[in-house]
Amino acid sequence: MDLQIFFQTIVNGLFTGGIYALVAIGLTLIYGVMLILNFAHGEFLMLGMYLAYWAFTLAGIDPYLAVPIAALLIFGLGALIQSGLVQRVLSAHPLNQIILLLGVSTLIIGLVQFFWSAEAKSIHVSYETSVIPLMGLRFSIPRLIAFLSAMVIALGLFLFLRFTRVGKAIRAVSQSRDAATLMGINVKYIYLLTFGIGAAVTAIGGVMLTPNYKMIPTIGQQFGVIAFVVVVLGTMGNFLGAFFGGLIIGVVEAFAGYLLGGDVKIIASMLVFILILLFRPAGLFGRRRA
Amino acid sequence: MALLDVQGITKRFGGLVAVNDFSLSVDRGHIVALIGPNGAGKTTAFNVIAGFYKPNDGKVFFDGVEITGLRPDQVCKLGLSRTFQVVRPFGSISVLDNVMVGAYARTSDTRVAREKAEEALEFFGMQKFAGSTASGLPIASRKRLEIARALATGPKMMLLDEAMAGLRPAEADEVIAMVRKMSEEKGIAILLVEHVMKVVMSLSERIAVLHHGEKIAEGNPSDVVQDKQVIDAYLGEANVTSR
Amino acid sequence: MSTQSLTTATPKPRRNWLRPLFRDWDRTQMTVSFIILGLIALAPLVVDSPYYLGILILATLYAFIGVSWNIVAGYAGQLLIAHIIFLAVGAYTTLVLLNQFSVSPWVGIPIAGLVAALLGVLVAFITLRYGLKADYFALFTIALMVALRTLFLKWEFVGGALGIGLRLSNPSWLKMIFDNKEPYLYISLALATLGMILQYLIYRSKMGKYFIAIREDESAAAALGVNTSLYKTLAVVIGAALAGIGGGFYAMYVTFVDPPQVFDLGLNVEIVMAGPIIGGLGSLAGPVLGALVNKPLAVLIRGFLSAERSGTSLIVYGSFLILAIMFMPRGLAGVLHSIYNKLSRQSRESKSGGSQSGSA
Repeated sequence: MDLQIFFQTIVNGLFTGGIYALVAIGLTLIYGVMLILNFAHGEFLMLGMYLAYWAFTLAGIDPYLAVPIAALLIFGLGALIQSGLVQRVLSAHPLNQIILLLGVSTLIIGLVQFFWSAEAKSIHVSYETSVIPLMGLRFSIPRLIAFLSAMVIALGLFLFLRFTRVGKAIRAVSQSRDAATLMGINVKYIYLLTFGIGAAVTAIGGVMLTPNYKMIPTIGQQFGVIAFVVVVLGTMGNFLGAFFGGLIIGVVEAFAGYLLGGDVKIIASMLVFILILLFRPAGLFGRRRA
Repeated sequence: MALLDVQGITKRFGGLVAVNDFSLSVDRGHIVALIGPNGAGKTTAFNVIAGFYKPNDGKVFFDGVEITGLRPDQVCKLGLSRTFQVVRPFGSISVLDNVMVGAYARTSDTRVAREKAEEALEFFGMQKFAGSTASGLPIASRKRLEIARALATGPKMMLLDEAMAGLRPAEADEVIAMVRKMSEEKGIAILLVEHVMKVVMSLSERIAVLHHGEKIAEGNPSDVVQDKQVIDAYLGEANVTSR
Repeated sequence: MSTQSLTTATPKPRRNWLRPLFRDWDRTQMTVSFIILGLIALAPLVVDSPYYLGILILATLYAFIGVSWNIVAGYAGQLLIAHIIFLAVGAYTTLVLLNQFSVSPWVGIPIAGLVAALLGVLVAFITLRYGLKADYFALFTIALMVALRTLFLKWEFVGGALGIGLRLSNPSWLKMIFDNKEPYLYISLALATLGMILQYLIYRSKMGKYFIAIREDESAAAALGVNTSLYKTLAVVIGAALAGIGGGFYAMYVTFVDPPQVFDLGLNVEIVMAGPIIGGLGSLAGPVLGALVNKPLAVLIRGFLSAERSGTSLIVYGSFLILAIMFMPRGLAGVLHSIYNKLSRQSRESKSGGSQSGSA
């Protein structure tokens, strides 16, 4: 494998990894705060994609401009799902939580399939094949925009959690729900917010993937699984872990795709996953949150 | 030869030494109490003996067989049963079914297990609860269920972890009677962890005192409660005749 | 005028043989389940349409698969989410044996159960050896499903992305190929019946009690002499074997499988999970009640939503799951249990009230 292909693969991997990072951040945020594994997470990404598709085919809106719309709508959906459904099972048996979210996931996929059919859909923008050649490598413009946007959003979220009052409240709840309650934080509201943000961020990731991407209603499932891999790799609940984990998995997958072929590259993530579960379940960042 | 022979067990959790070089022996049919302040390491010692933790050092022998590092179910099958400080009933099934789980330790035959379970319930006068769902029982009955369940495993010795905690005096008296009955009628040796001194004094033939993971005293009850170290660490002057 | 009560205390002879069947809740569940299966067995007498018979065949098969999952997740409480992998492996095994090696499905299906059981041993071993707890175990099974799907997509011997289809052939009992629905219905009924009997035997035995103990409180179970690793493995293996057998029959009935179809969470929800959850996870009658309500109801609702459009069964099953967890966590069996308790309380009270006829 010559050097140019090597670096090109890394670049491609990072670009995809940026999206993975975003999705994983959403998932890890939800887990860190609510201690619940969102088995419907991939579907938020898929909804982001289909919303972008809808906006494009309906009104010719460029996918990247659809980001705010998708973010807002999916935030609302996430908040609704949390307050209406998830909230009720937070103290129930884990099996019930998993089943509820699998039910939500199945329902969402079913609805999308009902309205848009199971056929692959894609949107094509004028600049989708444009590249910036730099140092002998080709930087695909849509993917570059997606990557940079993902970095900006991740940074924004990081700053939000670090420095704003609400962000600090979220972090407080993730560290100790009881202490946070005693401090006067409205935990239910934080849960709502967190789930909404987690969903929205994921949907944004979906929107940014859309140019020239074949989407089917079940596409979210594989992203969901990859998101879980990233979250476990980066230690569950750990923001930075999800961020870097996403980039790492993106690169690993890119190499797997080069070596084994695009349709089976997901097996690389599965192997990574199984290896982590077996040998370092606490993830890269050590101590697993209780 | 002692029935239970704990030889110098040490258990560390990271940097914390929960139990340090702890030795104790309990003879067949005897009742020994293990007392000490909260955090002294009593439950940790129990967990090591019963097989829930592996000790970093030391050995445990039961009925002449080394049980160090065996799984809890293996320890149980050898004849050493335990109860838990916070009771752990199998909530969604009946009292009888709960006790049957214990009885199955000695047999695979359902009829035999049911008989043993009914015997255990009768031994404690709990037959009328047999059909009740365990989760619906009040705390005192759940504590008795915990012991009856352990009894059904046909043990030679039982580890009772704070069996009286949370009980009113009358309820505690009932449990004391149960323990005495097990010891006298079935010859089961008992090692009990207890805070309620009245119980300790009335039941045990010997007391060992644990403090910061180390045994600071051991002997017959009247001697131990007057031991200065024990009083300083745990009892306080007034507690000698407490409750 | 006679003051003697017209209704004497002699029990009506007709009721006598019914009582033992409903003596306690467990018996009641078994009785109800067998009545339902019995009615289905009689269905071909009144139903001609292959379409409706087909629904019954699938519903009965789903009941059998539901039993297999109920044992692992309901009784032993293990979070084995992607149970479908066992069905998938069983389906593939049966078709491969038939197509490539001309092994009759009557032999192939039991072998499928064995192969699935081996996979179950592997899953249990890895989970226990590496101490994968609850959530992680669930994720592991899902990752395994995705990995297997990818593997099968590339494995030419089993058809790769093209899948495996039953080679067209004349109807034959040996090959389990029939041109009408009735034989399929009877096979699937036989499976469901065997499944119910096996489930009951396990439930009443030491193994069943141990499974429940592990579900309720693993540490307490261990303290009482339960070898939790052994019994968790047994639960997974038994569930896997049954699902493998069900998968074998599934393959013979639907005649075609490919990786995206069978290594799929949507199918998992429909075949494996929806039945027991709606019927009542961990109950004897749950799988049968759930599957027999599920499948026909789903078909009905899909009819309203215009069944040709895809996604309708997902909408239905997803909603079922959500509604069940939110409003009926103990399932239909739980609801019926409450009704049964009320009725038996009333009948006990009326018996003691009615026996005053002597003191007129």
